[in-house]
Formats: sequence, C-alpha cells, structure tokens
Amino acid sequence: MSQKMIMIVEDNPDDEELTLRALRQGKIANEIVVTRDGNEALEFVFGRGQYAGRNLERMPAVILLDLKLPKLSGLEVLKQLRSDPRTKLIPVVVLTSSSEDEDMLRSYQVGANSYVRKPVEFGSFANAVSQLGMYWLLLNETPPRA
Amino acid sequence: MRRLIAPLSVRQKLLAVVLVTTLTALLVAIAVMVGFDLRTYRQSLISDMTTQADLLGRTTAPALTFDDPRVAQENLELLHYRPQIRAAAIYNARGKIFASYSGTDGREFPKLPEADGTRIEGNELVLFKRIVDSREILGTVYLRADYELYDRLVGYLGIAAIVAAIAMLVAYVLSRQLQHIVTSPLLAIAGVAREVTEKRTFSLRAPKLSKDEIGMLAESFNTMLAEIERATRDLQASNEVLGREIAEHNRAEQEILRLNTELEQRVKERTAQLEYTNGELEAFCYSVSHDLRAPLRAIDGFSQALLEDFPKDVPEEARRYLSRIRSSTQRMGQLIEDLLNLSRVSRGGLERRDADISELARQVVTELQTREPQRKVDISVWDGMRANADSRLLRAALENLIGNAWKFSSKTDQPRIEIGSLSDDGRAVFYVRDNGAGFDMAYANKLFGAFQRLHSGNEYQGTGIGLATVQRIVHRHGGRIWADAKPGKGAAFYFTLESDGVEKAGRDMAEAQA
Repeated sequence: MSQKMIMIVEDNPDDEELTLRALRQGKIANEIVVTRDGNEALEFVFGRGQYAGRNLERMPAVILLDLKLPKLSGLEVLKQLRSDPRTKLIPVVVLTSSSEDEDMLRSYQVGANSYVRKPVEFGSFANAVSQLGMYWLLLNETPPRA
Repeated sequence: MRRLIAPLSVRQKLLAVVLVTTLTALLVAIAVMVGFDLRTYRQSLISDMTTQADLLGRTTAPALTFDDPRVAQENLELLHYRPQIRAAAIYNARGKIFASYSGTDGREFPKLPEADGTRIEGNELVLFKRIVDSREILGTVYLRADYELYDRLVGYLGIAAIVAAIAMLVAYVLSRQLQHIVTSPLLAIAGVAREVTEKRTFSLRAPKLSKDEIGMLAESFNTMLAEIERATRDLQASNEVLGREIAEHNRAEQEILRLNTELEQRVKERTAQLEYTNGELEAFCYSVSHDLRAPLRAIDGFSQALLEDFPKDVPEEARRYLSRIRSSTQRMGQLIEDLLNLSRVSRGGLERRDADISELARQVVTELQTREPQRKVDISVWDGMRANADSRLLRAALENLIGNAWKFSSKTDQPRIEIGSLSDDGRAVFYVRDNGAGFDMAYANKLFGAFQRLHSGNEYQGTGIGLATVQRIVHRHGGRIWADAKPGKGAAFYFTLESDGVEKAGRDMAEAQA
C-alpha cells in the first residue's frame, strides 16, 4: 500500500511554507501536494486541466483547505468535493485565519470534518498542523474505497 | 272694516280713509243743514199761515158782523192766488160754516171749528184761528195748506247726493295728487327694504324725503342698514380671516405631510446607506480577520525559523530583537482578535433569554483556572443570579470583567474576586469586585474608551479593548456600567442589563458631574 498523500489548498506562499515547515517539524514525511486556488484544487482531485491524465486511483488521505481562496472559495471547493462520489468521503480540514462563527458553521454544514483556526503565533500554528497531520494520517482510518 | 282695509296698499288705505272721512263729514253737514232748513220751513209755514188766517179774520170780521157771506166768500176766493192753500173756511160764532173755499180737491170741511192751534196731518198743515173783535168772538178761520216736507226732503237728498258725488270726486282727485307727499317716502323706504332683502346689498340707503316720522323712520332704517352693513362687513372680515387661517392650517398640514414623506425618504436612503456601510464593515472585519493575520503569522513564523535554522549565525543582540518582533506580532494578533470581538458584539441580533449569570461566571472562572492552574485566587460566585439577556454576549462581557479582575489581582497577596448582585430600586445590579491593583477614579471616564489603558504594558498585558467591549454589550441590553476603585485597593465594576429610564440617567449625570 502506497504512502498516504496530503493535499494543501493555500494561496498565501508564506502560509504554504509555514505549513510545510510545521509538517516537517512534526516528522511527517508523506507526499504533499500544494494547489494554490480552488479551481486548481478541483482540477487536481478530478484530473482535469493541468492535471489531466493524473492517476485518479491516488487520492489525498486528507485535504487542508483554506477558506479564502482566489477564483473558487474554500466553501465552493468543499461543496463540489462532497457532491462527487469519488471525493465525497475524503477528510477535509478547514484551516483558516477566520475566527467568524459564521464561517465555522457554514464549513461544518457543507461537510467539513474539522475546523482549525490558524493562530498568529508560529509555535501554536506548528503544533496545530503537526497534530492534524498526525491524527488524519496515522490515527484515522480512511474509509474503504467505493 | 279693518279686515276690509288690511290687505290694501298704503296708497289705497290713505285714499279710503280720505274718502270715508270726506263722506262722513259731508253727510253730517248735509243732515244738519237739512234738519235746520226743515225746521225753519215749518216755522215759517206756520207763521205764514197764522198771518194769513189773521188777515182773513180781520177782513172777514165786518162780513160776520153784518152777516154777509158773499163778502166773506169773495175774500176767500182771493186765496186761489196762493195755490199752496188747499182749502179754507170761515165758521160763525155758532160754529156753522159761514163761507168756504176749496182748491183742487173736494174734501169735506170739519163740522165744528176747533180751538186755536196748528197741527200736521200727513203732508198737510191744518190751522184754526178765532176771529176776535173788541173782546167778542165773531167766528173761526180754518186753513188747510200743503206741508211739502217730504218733497223738500227728497229734493235735499238729491242735492246732497250730487254734492257728495262731486265732493268725493274732488276729494279723490285731490287725495290722489296729495297722497304722494305721504306715501312716496314710505314707498321709497319699502322699495329699498325689498331690494336689500332680495339682493342683500346693505350699502343701499333710503332717501329721506320728509322731516316727519317717515323721515325719522328712513333715518332709523338707514342707521339699522349701516349697522347691519358694518356687522356683515365684520362678519365677512372675520370669515376671511378664518378662511385664511384654515388655508394656512391646510398648507401647514400639507407641508408636514410633505416633510414627513421627505423624512421617510431620507430615512430610507440613510438606512440603505447604513446597510451598505454595515456590509462594508462586515467585509472589512472579515478581511481583517483573514488578511491582517497572515502577514503576522509569516513574520512570527519566519523569525522563529531564523532562530531555529541558523542557531549559530544569529548573535545575541539579534535574538533579542527577533524576540521583540515576535512579541509585537503576538500583541498585534491579540489586538486584531479583540477588535474583532468588539465589532462582533455590535453586529448580529440580541437574543434575550433567561440567562444563568452564576453559571456563566463559573464557566469563565473555570477556564481561567485551567489556563493558569498555578495561581491561587479566592473566587466566590453568588448562586441564583439570572437575567433576561443574550448569554453569548453576556459571557463575553463576563470573560472581560472576570479576566480583568484575574489579571489585575495577580500581584496581590491573597487575591480575592467576588461576583455578585445588589438590588437598586428593585432592579438587579451585578458586580465583579477584586482586591487587585485598582485605579485612580480621576481616570474613570477613560475606562470604557477603546484602546484606553490605565496601566502600562510592562505592568499588565492588555489591549485596552476589553472594557469598551463590555460597555457595548451592556448598552446593547439597555443597561449601564460604572466602576468604583482605589489605587492598590482593588476595583469593582457594576452593571445592569435593563433600561432604567430617563430620571435615573439624569441623576447619574448629576453624580458624574459632582
């Protein structure tokens, strides 16, 4: 069985690098795919556009999704993932700077598995990210393929 | 009579009066004259006949004395010159007819003479007269003459009728001519009165054509008209004023309506603007929460990365600077967090429900104790404190107030915090009291302003937004918040969660000024 893959959807290069750094510090050596907007994320998952012909057998074990994204918002992406049988069950963790209750509520409503706020302080941030990786990659059992 | 006259016009009445009066006067005059004339006629007839009888007696006396009836008869025959005398006779002393004369009729003479005297028999005068000569009665004269009283009367009546007719005609013509003097002023007044009644033109005046009662009537009538004209003018003037006032009133009402409509329109516009601004504000807050945090995270993250990745290349001084940078970013992060909280308590609905304040306070206290388990603080929360309030906002307020008490009592020996309530005029006043650092009441007015701090960052951490947030929450509930403190002796914050009316607010202002 091949190694589990993590997908990060993040438009901010700083946050991207910090997230990668945090995962690294959390000793997570799995494959990490980074997409930079909502559209690209969907193209990757469904093998469209620049990712046409990608092996669709290989799906991310977990998706870390930012809400505020160019083109398609994180919530839009989540809705489309949940409406397709191939991606319906992929665990999605909403990782965002927003502390609005409204955002959290809507994320859960459209099917987020978890909602995590990005703290300003890097220590806390790194902690949160590595714990997430740990949980979703090591402890959580991915649903059996349909 | 009156009933007959009543419906007539004044002119006709006057005429009637004149004619009736004239006729009456005429009749009386004629009656008197006729009566007088008839009396005179009778007396003169009697006197005439008596004289005639006397005369006959004297001329017949010798014939009687000498018993010569022929002479007597001749004397009597002379009477035919007086046709008025119908019959005459001479009686001798023994009462026998001595001689007789009979005019046109052949009536018999009385058998015996009567005593001296006259008498009227129908339309005849009968007269007996003794013939006396030197104390001896010689005989008696008998005369019968026409007494034409009836004919005279009829003649007089005829004359009277003609005279009356002429007089009445003259009176009629005269009065027709003269009555104008009386009636024309009256008719003039009546005409004016009629015109006034029909056309309601009170400016008309009756002409004063005479100086008598009618003239006075015209004057009085004119005075009355003037009075009515003045009163009418006054009435019209006041009517006009009233009309103007009503028009003014209507105009004002229209104006008010217009202003109201305008105001409503303006309110709508303002509301739309406000809604738009509110939307902008929400978008701004959303951006703040997202976009302002990301660079901070980067600054903090890469500062740490610098320290971790190049442990030997970063000199001690640089480390210190980096740590200053990191603490600043964290402070900035906290500021953003607090600002978002402040804006969050202003937005959204206020859901008032029965809230258990004691329970909320205990939750907050437990959180604080979990965060800093090493601190030993004597905290007492009263049981059974409840209020009709939005528990989410209320919890945020308690987090700030109790958090402040927790924070500012950190340097106190045996720190104590009490959360309880009082009753003020039956209204619940909740308080959070500590025995911490306190503050100078001189700065109490600055307590609730955003970014206002009474302690330096070195002494106590904080952004100065907490109390502004609490005040906003309390105000949204219609309540009040105030503080009581002394430097080094602790602070107490009191708040209510329901509106307490204007009177109370006024009293508070007075207290604040004192």
